[in-house]
Amino acid sequence: MAHHPLIGYLVWALLFGALFAWEGLALSHLSNYVPTLSDTFRAIMRYPFGRWALFALWLWFGWHIFVRGWHFLLRA
Amino acid sequence: MSSHLLRQDFDPMVGGYVIIMVALAVGLRLSGRPAAVAARAARARQPSGPDLPPVTAAGWRRLAGHVAGTMLGGYLLLMVVVVLYYYLVARVGGAFIQSAFTGGALLIGLAAPVFAAASWLTERRRARATRKAQRPHPSS
Repeated sequence: MAHHPLIGYLVWALLFGALFAWEGLALSHLSNYVPTLSDTFRAIMRYPFGRWALFALWLWFGWHIFVRGWHFLLRA
Repeated sequence: MSSHLLRQDFDPMVGGYVIIMVALAVGLRLSGRPAAVAARAARARQPSGPDLPPVTAAGWRRLAGHVAGTMLGGYLLLMVVVVLYYYLVARVGGAFIQSAFTGGALLIGLAAPVFAAASWLTERRRARATRKAQRPHPSS
C-alpha cells in the first residue's frame, strides 16, 4: 500500500466532517434555509439527466468497490 | 512500523470519526427545535403506506420504464465519462474500459432484479395491510 502524507488523510476527514456538519445544520432550526441531502437529491432527481448522473455515480462507486481489483475472497 | 501505521492511518481515522460523531451530536441536538419538528410533521402529513391507492398494471409499466430509462441513461453517461477519462486524462491499466463496461453491466444485472423483487414485495405487503385495515372488525 502506498504511503501518503498525513495531511491528505486529514483533508478527507475534514471533507466528510463538513458534509455531516452541513447535513446536521440542515436538519436543525435552519432547515427552512438549508436543504438536507435528501431534499437535494429529490431536487436533482426531478430531471432525467440528474437521475442519470446519480445512477452513474452509484454505478461508479459500486464498480470501484465490488468489481475493480476484486479478488476471490478478498485475496490480495 | 507500528508508530508509522498509527500516525498515517489510525490517527486520521479516529480524527474523522470524532468529527463525524460531534457533527451528528450537534445535528441531533438541534433537530429537536420547533422549526425542524414542524417541517418533519408537514412531511409526515403526506399520504403514504396504506393511504396510497393500489398500484395498477399501468403503474408498474411506468415504474419499469422509469427505472430502465434511468439505468440505461446512467450506464451510458458513466461509459462516456470513463472513455473520456481514459483517452484524455490517464491511460489506466488493468483493462480499465473493458472492466467498466462489463462491471457496470454486472452491477445493473444484479441490482435490477433485486430492486424489482423488493418493490413488488413492498407493494404486496402494503396492499395486504390496506385490505386488513379496510376489513370490518369482527366485534362490530
